[in-house]
Amino acid sequence: MGVKKATREVDVVTTGTFSPMCSSGVILNFGHTDPPIRMQKIWLNDVPAHGGLAAVDTYLGATSLSKTMEDYGGAHVIEGLLRGEEVFLRATSSGTDCYPQKEIETYITLEGINEALLFNPRNCYQNYNVAVNTSTRRIHTYMGTLLPKLGNATYCTSGQLSPLLNDPTFRAIGMGTRIFLGGAQGHVVWHGTQHNPTTKIVDGNKIVGGGTISVMGNLKQMSVDFIRAAVFPGYGVTMFVGIGTPIPILDEDMMRFVSVCDSDIYTTISDYSCTHKSKPVLGTVNYAQLRSGSIKIGDKEVPTSPLSSYAKAREIAEKLKKDITQGKFLLQEPAWQLPNKSSNKTSE
Amino acid sequence: MKTKVIFTFPPEIVEKPISHTLMKEFDLWINILRAKIEPSEGGKLVIELQGDEENIKAGIELAEKSGVGVTLLENDVLWDKELCVDCGACISLCPTQALTLDRDTFKLNFDFGRCVACGSCAQVCPVKAISINF
Ligand code: SF4
Ligand code: SF4
Repeated sequence: MGVKKATREVDVVTTGTFSPMCSSGVILNFGHTDPPIRMQKIWLNDVPAHGGLAAVDTYLGATSLSKTMEDYGGAHVIEGLLRGEEVFLRATSSGTDCYPQKEIETYITLEGINEALLFNPRNCYQNYNVAVNTSTRRIHTYMGTLLPKLGNATYCTSGQLSPLLNDPTFRAIGMGTRIFLGGAQGHVVWHGTQHNPTTKIVDGNKIVGGGTISVMGNLKQMSVDFIRAAVFPGYGVTMFVGIGTPIPILDEDMMRFVSVCDSDIYTTISDYSCTHKSKPVLGTVNYAQLRSGSIKIGDKEVPTSPLSSYAKAREIAEKLKKDITQGKFLLQEPAWQLPNKSSNKTSE
Repeated sequence: MKTKVIFTFPPEIVEKPISHTLMKEFDLWINILRAKIEPSEGGKLVIELQGDEENIKAGIELAEKSGVGVTLLENDVLWDKELCVDCGACISLCPTQALTLDRDTFKLNFDFGRCVACGSCAQVCPVKAISINF
């Protein structure tokens, strides 16, 4: 089908991704105790949560680590809440005249608390590099375990299904856009932190940058099918987040954007054995090559691992499509557009 | 016929020539896929037995009689499909390509026939969907 005909016939295209996204967490409001407490130090199943908000509000980050349990963190608490489990809340306070209580120990459930809002400051990287390791020792990173001497390579977006790769100029995805988030309907609330959509040319290939979105939704409506705690050995805890976006086919340009294929999308191969911020780039590769199971780096055949679940990404795009056709999911025009410029600075 | 089994040796029988007996008396072909044996602590062997079905059975019986714990590899490498999110983090770490993503569905395929119970996948699986008793 040509672009013209497709533009006439297709109304909306859906995208999906299910990847580990570290910059994720939940805003919780527990409800007041009697006598009341202004919680200053807060632990949920021994995982520290933020105590710098109002009396019984907190933010629990997905990567926050348990003080007592190995390989357990904020993401596991969130998953536990979603599974209906009781979570042990402990909080302390110095006490004030209006909030005299100094300590509380109790169990909470998702159902029993006032609010649980998933609020992720940076999700859904548009494009991300491929991680390899040229050193002689095994390294443990947020891109998974990397075997020495280019023993394997890991990559982490859903490529042709990735939301921001289908809308590279942010015409459909912007502030307020309704999205599929963790099994519920959520919204894009801002551009993500470190939003950097700058496109570069490397080795003659166009490398789409790293635009990101900040998203929010009601955790109480989400499901463990699309939100899961993850442990990367030697690195720590992170969280798989499932996101899907609808992209209305506004015109032929938009149709061209969403027709993007894995073989058109390139990314760079970075050497994670270098501990500096700018890592040496060993070349470029496209997502079709990555998805084939191995890539060539020099003369070496290097097996690849996605980290991001393509099966789940498809499931999300399909589910969103179904919800839209059944009228359960309504498209929402963005209130304003994501910037096309980088928000990125470094703190050196 | 081929069968993969895990032999667990208590320390007191580490010195017994069990593999030798299996080869000589039962005409079994033995392929050691992985070994972890400390004379003072006992240990484990992942082996592939090849031969007549009856001889394999008899050989396993003999090993058990001599005090070796025998389990089928399938029962010691456990993959929980419900927990698995098909992320593929494990596939590039599997030395034998027992783990692959299906070309059509992109779901994880586990070919137990290729597995040597090395444990790499269990170590890296972010949701602990694979566990290995080795
Ligand atoms: S790493 Fe774990 S969750 Fe991911 S595909 Fe392998 S078994 Fe499944
Ligand atoms: S234990 Fe896992 S990584 Fe090792 S061979 Fe078997 S499937 Fe592959």
